[in-house]
Formats: sequence, C-alpha cells, structure tokens
Amino acid sequence: MKRRTVLKSAAAAAALSALTATGALAENPTLKIGFVGVTSGPAAAWGISNQRSMEVRADWINETGGYTIGDTTYDIEIVSFDDQKDPKRAIAGMEKMAQEGIHYVVGPNVDDGAAAVRPVAEANGIMYFPYAFPKSLYSAPASNAVLGMVANYQSGPAIYKYLMENEGVETVAFIAANESDPLSQRDGGVAAAKELGLEIVSDNITYQVDTTDFTPVLTPVMRSQPDLLVLSGVSPANAPQLIRSARELGFQGVISTETAQDAQVLREGAGDLANGFISVGGASTPELASDMMREFVQRYTDMFGEYNDESNTKVYALEYILETLKADPPAIDDVDAFQATMDTFEAPNPYMVGDAKLRYVGMTSFGQKRQLAVPLVVNVYQDGEFETLFVAEVD
Amino acid sequence: MEQILANGIYLGSQYAMIALGLTLIFALMNVLNFAHGQMYVLGGFVTYTFYGQMGFPFVVGLLMSCVTLFVLGALIEKFLFGPVIKRSSREESTMLLAAGLAFFLDAVILLVFGEKQRGVPKIVDGVFNWDFRLIMPYDRILICVLAIISIVGFILFMQYTKTGRALRALAQDRTAAQLMGVNVDRYSMIGFALGAMLAGLVGGLLVTITGINLGMGGPTSIKAFMMVMIGGAGVISGAIAGGIILGFLEAIGLAVLYQYGDITYLLIFVSLMIFLAFRPQGLMGKPWG
Amino acid sequence: MLKLSLTQWIGAGVFFAAVFVVAPVTIAVLGRTDLFYTLTSVGLLAIASAGVWLTFYIGRINIGQGAFALLGAYVSAILVTKAGMSFWISLPIAGLFAAFVAVLIGLPILRLKGVYFAMITLVLTQVFTLTALALPITNGAKGITSIPLPGELSVLGLTLIPDFATLDNPRQAFYYTTAVLMVLTFAAMYRLVNSRLGHLCRSMQQNEELASSIGVNIAYIRIVIYAIASFFGGVGGAMFGSIAQSVYPSSFQVADSVNFMLNCFLGGLGYVFGPMLGTFVLYFGWDLLFEFGKYQMLIYSSVLIFLILVLPNGLLSLRLSKKRGQDK
Repeated sequence: MKRRTVLKSAAAAAALSALTATGALAENPTLKIGFVGVTSGPAAAWGISNQRSMEVRADWINETGGYTIGDTTYDIEIVSFDDQKDPKRAIAGMEKMAQEGIHYVVGPNVDDGAAAVRPVAEANGIMYFPYAFPKSLYSAPASNAVLGMVANYQSGPAIYKYLMENEGVETVAFIAANESDPLSQRDGGVAAAKELGLEIVSDNITYQVDTTDFTPVLTPVMRSQPDLLVLSGVSPANAPQLIRSARELGFQGVISTETAQDAQVLREGAGDLANGFISVGGASTPELASDMMREFVQRYTDMFGEYNDESNTKVYALEYILETLKADPPAIDDVDAFQATMDTFEAPNPYMVGDAKLRYVGMTSFGQKRQLAVPLVVNVYQDGEFETLFVAEVD
Repeated sequence: MEQILANGIYLGSQYAMIALGLTLIFALMNVLNFAHGQMYVLGGFVTYTFYGQMGFPFVVGLLMSCVTLFVLGALIEKFLFGPVIKRSSREESTMLLAAGLAFFLDAVILLVFGEKQRGVPKIVDGVFNWDFRLIMPYDRILICVLAIISIVGFILFMQYTKTGRALRALAQDRTAAQLMGVNVDRYSMIGFALGAMLAGLVGGLLVTITGINLGMGGPTSIKAFMMVMIGGAGVISGAIAGGIILGFLEAIGLAVLYQYGDITYLLIFVSLMIFLAFRPQGLMGKPWG
Repeated sequence: MLKLSLTQWIGAGVFFAAVFVVAPVTIAVLGRTDLFYTLTSVGLLAIASAGVWLTFYIGRINIGQGAFALLGAYVSAILVTKAGMSFWISLPIAGLFAAFVAVLIGLPILRLKGVYFAMITLVLTQVFTLTALALPITNGAKGITSIPLPGELSVLGLTLIPDFATLDNPRQAFYYTTAVLMVLTFAAMYRLVNSRLGHLCRSMQQNEELASSIGVNIAYIRIVIYAIASFFGGVGGAMFGSIAQSVYPSSFQVADSVNFMLNCFLGGLGYVFGPMLGTFVLYFGWDLLFEFGKYQMLIYSSVLIFLILVLPNGLLSLRLSKKRGQDK
C-alpha cells in the first residue's frame, strides 16, 4: 500500500511539474540556439563540456524568467546535434539547424567540421561559433564564422614571451598529435616562437592519437634538453600522460600548452608531477571569477555531478550571442544586422571581476572582427587547482 | 639502446596481452571482435571505480575487472554471438554484431563513467634510473612484470588444464572437438568470456599508468588487429609474438626515425603491409580461408 | 541486353519515381530542405558501399573503402583548385585514379583472404590518412579548403549542367547529380552481377581453388573487381569533397571504412541493392534518433544489435525468405 501511495504522489508531482513546465513555455516564446559538435564516441569529451555549458546557462536563464531581447522575453532552448566528429555529419547538422530556423550555432569543435559547414552556414544565414583555429575560416571572404575562443597563435606568443621574461626560457621543443588540428597548432606555435627569437630544438616529433605510452615518443625530445616543452593542441586525455612521462624521464624545464585543460584530470593522471604546468583557461580561478561565474560552476556541478574546467572557455559563446541580440533585437533573424552590430558591440563581462568587456575582436589576426574577446587567462596548475599566471587581451 | 629495449619489452608485454584475448576469441569462433577495445576500456573503468573511487586495494579492483568482463563476455556470447553465428548464412555477419556492440559499449561507458580522462593513484612511487641510460618508473616495471606473469599463467592454463585443452581442441577443429565429446556451446562461452576477461585485465593494469578514457577503445581494437595480423590470426604464440614485435617496432621506430616526425607511423604501417604481402598468414598463422 | 521480368521493370519504375519525383516533391511539400543533403549523403555513401559490396562478391571483406574515397576527394580537389579543371572532368578522373591505385595495391594484397584482407584494408585507410597528412600536395594538416562549386558543363554550346554557384539551391542540384550517379552505379552493379563476370565472381566466392582449376583467371578478375570497387569509392569521395567545399585528411577515416562495410552487412550481402538499403537505414536511423539527445547512441546501437539478432543475413533477407517460400 505504502509503495503505491508513493508512486501515486510521484505521478501527481510529475504531472504537476509537467503542467507548470508547459505553463512556463506557454508564457514565453522560445529562442532556439544550436549546437553542432561531437558528443558521442571516442572524441565525446570535445563537445560534451561545450554542450553542457550551454544547457546549464539556458536552464538558468529560463529558471529566472527568461531572456529579454527588445520587447519580448524568450525562453532559451539549446538544439544539439551530434556530428560524431565527422565533417559529413557536421554538414547534416548545420542543415538541420537551418531547417529549424536557427540562425546562431555554436560549434563545430574541429577544423575539418568547421570548414565543411561553411557553405551551408553562409547559404542559410547562420552565424556559427567554431572552436577551430584556421585563419581562413574567419578572414574575408568568409563571413559567418566567429572564433569562440583564443587561438593558439594568439595565446602561444603571450605565453612564450612571459616565460622568456620571467623564467629565462631560451630553447623550446614542440610535440603534437599526428592529426590536423594539433599539427596546425604546432606549426603556428613554431612560427610564433621563431619570431620571438626562441631557439627551436625539436619541432617534428609527433605521436598517434591513440598512444598509450609516451616514454618512447618523448625520449628523443628529452635528449635535446629544451627549457620549454610545448604540447601543441594536446587533448585533456593525453596531457597528464605526457607530463608524467616527461617528468619521469627527468625533464626539469617548463611544460605548457595552448588548449584548455581540466584540473581534476591532471590531478588524477599526473598528480604532483603536473605542478607548474601552464595552460589556457577561462575566468574561473578564484582571483578572477565573478559571483556569476561561481554560480555557473555551481549550477553545472549540480546538474551534471562534476564540473569540467574546459567549460570556462566555453561559457562565453552563448552569452555573446544573447548579449549581441539584446543590443540589436532585429538581428534575431537577420545575421547581416548581427554582423553590423559586431563591429561596435560592447557589454560588461559578467563572468570576470573588474571591468573586462565582452566585445568582438580579431582585426590583427583576421582583418575583420570575427572573434569573441574571451579573456586570455593563462593558468598554472598547482596541487590540484589552477592559479592565474597572467591575464592578457586579444585584439 | 637499453632504453629502447626496455620500452620495447614494456610496450610489447601489454600489447601481447591485448592481442591474446582478441586472438582467443577469433580462434574459437572466427569472430573479429571489434568491441575488444571497448572491453579493455570497461575493465579500466571498473578498476578505476573500485581502486580509485571507492578505495579498495588495487588487487580487488583488478579482480573486479576480471570478474565483470568474464561475466559480460559470457553473456555476450550466450545471447548475441552464439545465436547469430548459428543463424547467419555467412559467418562474417558477426562483424556487424561486433561493431554494433562496440557502439553500444561506447554509449554505455559514456553514460555511466562520463567523457573525462580518469586516472588512479600510483601503485608504487619512484623511478628507476640507471645513470640516465635506462629510466623506468617502478610502477611501469611492476605492471610489465604482472603482464608477463599473466601471459605465462594464461599459457600454462591453456596447456595443462582440462578447460584449456578443450579450448585448444575447439580452436583447432570445431567439428572434431565436438565428435570427441567437447561441449562446444559451453566452451565457446568460456572461451569468449576468457578473451573478454583478458581485455578487462589489461585495462585494469594499465589504468594505473595511462589512465583510461572513452576514446581509447576503438584505436586499441585496431592496434590489436595489427598485432594479430603480424603474428598470425588465431594462434596464441602468434599473438604474443605480434604484440612484442609491434611494441619493439614502435620503440625502435620512434627512437630511430624521430627526426622524420610525421612519417614514423606511416612507415610502420607501410612496412606491415609489405610484410603481409610476402607472408599473408603472418608469422605463425595458418593460411585462413 | 539483360532481360528483366515484368516485376523487375515495375520495381525499377517505382524506384526511379521514388528517387526523382516522390522524394523531391515530398521535400517541397514538407518544406524539409535539409533532407536534400541527408539523401545526398545516403546516395554517395551508398555508391561507396556498393564498391565494398562488390569486393564481398569475390569473397573479400573490404574495410578500406575510406582510403579510396579520401583519394578521390583529394584528386578532384587538387585538380579543381590547383589545375583549374572543371569538376565534371575531375570526377571521372578521381574515380579512375582510385581504380589505378587499387590495381597497384591490389596486386599484392588481394592474395590475402579472410580476416587478413579485412585487417590489411583497415590499415590501408590509416596509411592514406597519414599520407595525406604528410604530403605537400594535399596541403598536409591544413587540408584543402574553399573549393569552388561545380561549374557549368556544356557540349557544343549546349548547357548540360548549369553552374552550381548560380543556382538558388545547389543542394538540390547535388541531390539530382547524386541520384543519377547512384542509379548508374547500381544499374552497372546489376548488369555486372548478372553477367558472365558476375557468374565467375560467385564461383570464386565459393571456392577460389576450384574456380582456378576450371580455368578461371582469378587473379585478373580480383584486380578488375577491386578496381571497379575503388572507382565507386573515388567518385563518392570526390562528390563529398565538392559538397563540403573542403577536404581534410580526416574527411574519410577508419570509422567511415567500417561504416561502409556495416552498410553492406545490414542490407544483406546476397543482394545487389543491399548496400543502398543498409546505408539508408544506418544513416537515416541516426538522424531520426536526433530527438533522443544523449541517449541517441545507446538507442541506435541497441536497435542495430536487435536487427542483427532478428535478421542476421541482412534486411533484404526478409524478402528472400518469402520468395523462397513461394518458389517451393
């Protein structure tokens, strides 16, 4: 009997919440924002933190009454498409977004996908925010892609320069996975290091993405005894193993990367050996995080059980889209208006303390404003947490 | 030189274990198990859960990995591969099932254990350093020794126990084994379960060194295929030889060809293809139909 | 000429109508223009899968079609971007080049059988990906991007195919192009299977030694079939490159090779149209399950496993078992 009552009340509660949910939906019209990226299979980690950041933020907005653009308050709905890291699927995903009448899409996560969806996005009036670095995506005549984070050719020089000045780094070695994205990032890093006058002692050692033992890969690099070892485009899964192998081989210098990492993963995978590891992150270190960032992290943790530090850099795209639409309501279904607004748009950055601004940048790198001004926060890992090393800006 | 040898032995021993399970399943049922890598990943996550999360001793984690994968393997054989092999007109159809299973395990692992890279506390601290000529962390040495012990144990099991003899008879000639009174269904199940268990055991062992993540499954399967090809499909000694050879190929290739960077693996793959063109059945395999 | 029975003529008619009339009309009525691309994908993947099916037909499990699709995509992209060639000329060249490479590679590896051939072709896909990463002409890791859309094709001033860039909806044009290619591919396959060559292939599938002993030049047939199979792969890949307007080393990878093989298995190895149906179900299935979010993969793979359990000989075996019943 008791069990039945429990069931009954559960059913009643469910029905009630369904009612209120539809009630809430009926109140506000829905604004759909898309996500195209990989959320299943071997590369799932690339897209999941991305998708989850968006969902957390959307839920949060809806819970607090929606988002007002112009005279209308919208509920935000995230429409996700899993492209399985296949550029052919990514095209299908972008077609689907166009079909749903979506004009703003976050993703794809990799170079080939971002290049493949370009024709669809430009034909259907979709602005998309990839996490891929090739400059051709963002330079004219390409018009609809906006780089969602800081590119390695922007963060790399800043990090190298800092290390040259503060750590006396003179020689550098690069190592990358044998895959499009990391190799391109390595080439960009090498060019930047050359320009800064660093001596490059090794730049052609690569490893297969599926490597499980990095000792043989790293042994020849260690022989060249660089002051700085750069892990170009390293995935969060490989980073701790590379660090561990390098340290165990007796490497004393600095290790850095230009991609975002997760502190928990580093702690589990490399422990204290990861101390001093430099990576690029968002604004969630205690020194920089605003209350809003802390609440975001809390909500993310509540919703999915565990936070992912990679999300620090991925919280921004959705915020930018919404803020820009708020600044120019007609842009909601007119990307030309959106593009025009991008040139002048400016709003306070809610995720960071101080007077940081949300605005579009990229004139130096792309010749047009096709990049989100995400704060270039360089972190150093220390005893299970990230500490901010320095903050810079991209122009 | 010493370093290359040590790397080769270490890589070779873990590769050999992965290949062993794959080749065992292949020898018994002619199934090319695409899901082998996923089973390996699952084994790693089980050890992670028991040793890394719940704080049981490492051995308990390993044991749980073995048990979980053994049971899973038995169930998969009984309810999936067994019936499909009986009913399909071409035995290659099991490849579709194996691939479907790989997708399925990938999905389950993602839902249960998440997308992040996971690692466990080191089992032994410290690094063995012989004058910088040979550097090997102690935990690697331990895992390498454990892997070799497991391989030897497996060979002894196959040689001297009743089950092992029955499995070998089954691998050699299914019909003959049946005529000799071997319960084919039962031993197919045990064989598959053993193969899965081996994958789980390697996963459990290696989680202490490399950690584990969802993405390791597919590539592991492909590597295992290569080892099996080198040694010869369906032959136990071949799998061991194949694993060790691939381990040394990688260790030597990376040491010698490092200045050519991007093409090290290309050369490994191409030489493998040339080798197979000359010796289609691998080192020790019988030419397969 | 082939003699088709009345039912076969009707079947062909229904198929033509479905591809060229029903599908576009349905899309227009529903306003689901995104389906153009989905169906185009299905068509192109089916063409590549047809090649895999053909290698099955001589008793070889081919997990290397991705390599030839990648090759075709690169050949066409390089010819169009670097040599300024018309896409329509580069398309057959891409196929022929893939066939040519297949002959070179096939000579040694087609001696392998069973799992050995399967696994070596799997490695082949990786070899091609790594080669594309290492070569200068493929632009290495950066890939080839900004490939122009197919231009006009005209013979003696008569426009056969208009410039895609001037069309309102190039997707629709790609759909029709693909539909024509797919029909041609499967017509060729049907013709081949019902020819003397097809008969010889079947005898090889049963027993190569036996076929050889009765005077069949099996080495020659193997090479020819493998070359045709790779031709399909090359053409399919080249079309994809043109639609995406970009080619990367990862455009076709091991996962694609495996999928091509799965398409054949799912459709049924005993049926010419198996790869088409298999591709349709596998590709569309994923899209249909889009609604399930994070459970998409779980449901997809469960359905796949269930299908194999129920129909271990492929989807088309449903039809076969009925037919056999009638024959008896």
